[in-house]
Amino acid sequence: MGISRRKFIQASAAGTVAASTGFSPLTFASSHDTVKIGMNIPMTGDYAPWGLPGLYGCQIVADNLNASGGVEIGGKKHKIEIVSYDHGYDIEKAVQGYKKMVSQDEADMVMMLGGATVGAVMPWGERKNVFTTTLLCSDITPDTEHLVATCESHPLYVVTGVEWLAKNHPDAKTAVIVTNNDVEYGLQAAATFQAAFEVAGIEVVDMNLHGFDVTDFAPIVSSVLAKNPDIFCMATSFYTTPLMEQLYHQGYKGKVISTTLDYHEEVIAKTSQEFVDGTIHQFPAFDDPKLTEDGINFPDPGGFDAEFRKRHPNDWSAVSWEYPAIMLNWLEGAKAAGSTDSDKVLKALQSNPNPEFVFGGGKWWGKELWGRDNVVIGRWPVVVIEGGKTRIKEFASVSDWLDKHSDVLIKYMKSHGLRTVS
Amino acid sequence: MELFLQSIANGLVQGGFFALFAVGLVLIFGVMGVVNFAHGELVMVGAFTIWLLHAQYGLGYIPAIAVAIVLVTVIGLVMERLLFRPTRADPLAGLICSIGILFILQVIAALIGGDGPSKQVPPPYQGTLVMFESLRIPYQRVFSLAISVAALVSLWFFLTRTRYGWALRAVALDREAAELQGINTNRISMVAIGVGTALAGLAGGLIAPLTNINPHMGHNVIVTAFIVTIVGGVGSLSGAVLAAILYAVFHTLITVYFGATIATISGLVLMVVVLIVKPTGLMGVRVSE
Repeated sequence: MGISRRKFIQASAAGTVAASTGFSPLTFASSHDTVKIGMNIPMTGDYAPWGLPGLYGCQIVADNLNASGGVEIGGKKHKIEIVSYDHGYDIEKAVQGYKKMVSQDEADMVMMLGGATVGAVMPWGERKNVFTTTLLCSDITPDTEHLVATCESHPLYVVTGVEWLAKNHPDAKTAVIVTNNDVEYGLQAAATFQAAFEVAGIEVVDMNLHGFDVTDFAPIVSSVLAKNPDIFCMATSFYTTPLMEQLYHQGYKGKVISTTLDYHEEVIAKTSQEFVDGTIHQFPAFDDPKLTEDGINFPDPGGFDAEFRKRHPNDWSAVSWEYPAIMLNWLEGAKAAGSTDSDKVLKALQSNPNPEFVFGGGKWWGKELWGRDNVVIGRWPVVVIEGGKTRIKEFASVSDWLDKHSDVLIKYMKSHGLRTVS
Repeated sequence: MELFLQSIANGLVQGGFFALFAVGLVLIFGVMGVVNFAHGELVMVGAFTIWLLHAQYGLGYIPAIAVAIVLVTVIGLVMERLLFRPTRADPLAGLICSIGILFILQVIAALIGGDGPSKQVPPPYQGTLVMFESLRIPYQRVFSLAISVAALVSLWFFLTRTRYGWALRAVALDREAAELQGINTNRISMVAIGVGTALAGLAGGLIAPLTNINPHMGHNVIVTAFIVTIVGGVGSLSGAVLAAILYAVFHTLITVYFGATIATISGLVLMVVVLIVKPTGLMGVRVSE
């Protein structure tokens, strides 16, 4: 056809540059005389499932606290206001949102998902003494005094799932790992699963690291299933639904273990309940009866679950309760300190050697791997999908495993070139 | 051997998708001289339509595909009439307009469906064709491949056996000469973008039950379409089809035997090698400036 190839390529290149520059910040206005909780999280894009549902959850908890008169800090009642910013997991936007939250919105603390966005904001955050939280404990460095991971210690807790699997399915002896190839989520999880499998006596016979541009998971699943694994492990994948769909269609009969299985109802709709039943992961539904037992530090989990599903019927994800748990933890610190000052809250929280942890059994940890005891680890649930519902099978101690086997974890972290001070 | 055959089967299904949207891109570029950067978003609109009408409102899958094709075609026709035709003299203006449309369609999709978690469409055709234990193809993929082949064969008939098809090829070869022969090039441009965008809508409809649907899914589509177009030979429809199949099988085999990351890199390297070694692509022809 009569248009030159050169013009086509020139135009394509120009378009690529132009198409990569869009952004869409989303902010909510704040008011004064309140405790301001900042959420600098992804609410759009690939990472949105690990941001937006957390904002919904925090709003529910804030509404409940405000309806009961607010939170007493320093002898005075404070209302809670959520200040949010959508950075879409874009580093520049994350920095912009973080500075806006602290400088203009006067947020008292800032919650973030973790990874590169946290790494980008912390140098400024440390200069300003901003109490900042992450879900990725690997974000902690010797220099991040004000960065804490007080709820999810991704991906350390996966060791409990592997331990449970080995105990309850001793015939499963080989595993394959499929995960995203990013350093922050995928490789950290791959290393932790490898360590957990080694400790459990399970051989990893193949590992497939993939990027974020995969649109067809059939070849990836075909490739690893050719190794006839007893266990298919999705370490940290944004693509659990298409992976599960391919496992189903390619006739996989073994066990499946995953860090999480958000939106498992969609997986069932694409496969079958029988196929999905038995899948092991680590993030409970909050209507689980086991969350009413002693030792759980989350107010009325069942009521929270019901309200969340009423307000946002299809949006529950792993982070729905995590950001609220972090917010509640910070509020406890502020109450203990009698102040919202970052250093005072941090000191109040860290002065407790057995801090309140959402599932109980918390302790400060992290120096061995990242140079600071700014991570709270404790009991973590192992959940299995049964009858189409996520149900907790047991709570197991992450810290017990780490006390015995952290050297194995460090070995695999180093094999992937992951940062550790050890 | 079974893994190899499974990979070939997977690659052929992917090749069908790639061919549908790459051929549409080539058709629009060939006739109108516009690099339609919004082509990936048109596929997204097709997929989103299936999610909305079929998965959310229960409309049958086939009627939903029909609506997707009509909707995307109408968008294409509006783009041609309001944007591409007035800017025809300046190819860069058309490109910029298409980028604007790209963002507009993303925002509209986000407003309708949200820009949070990806959408899923349960496959209307459940079950798996088991040829032998390790060679399995889900019926949904078999259906998609069959429809893709049927659409491409229909396009071939249209281009080679109908007056509009001949006129379209004539305009693509030489617009001025076609006008001198009395061909209404404005009408042919409408036909070209209508057919090209209809194929994009169909591709979106077929891919919807097989992938994560989100407002940004068009990015991967357009990158693949450019690789296929360049490897096949810019402006060559048959080259685009051949390249789509070869590239899909190549990409699938590399993914299986060397990993997904290597496959992505290999695809881009392949494109660069073609540009260096055979700049006209597999079936393109050299055109003087």
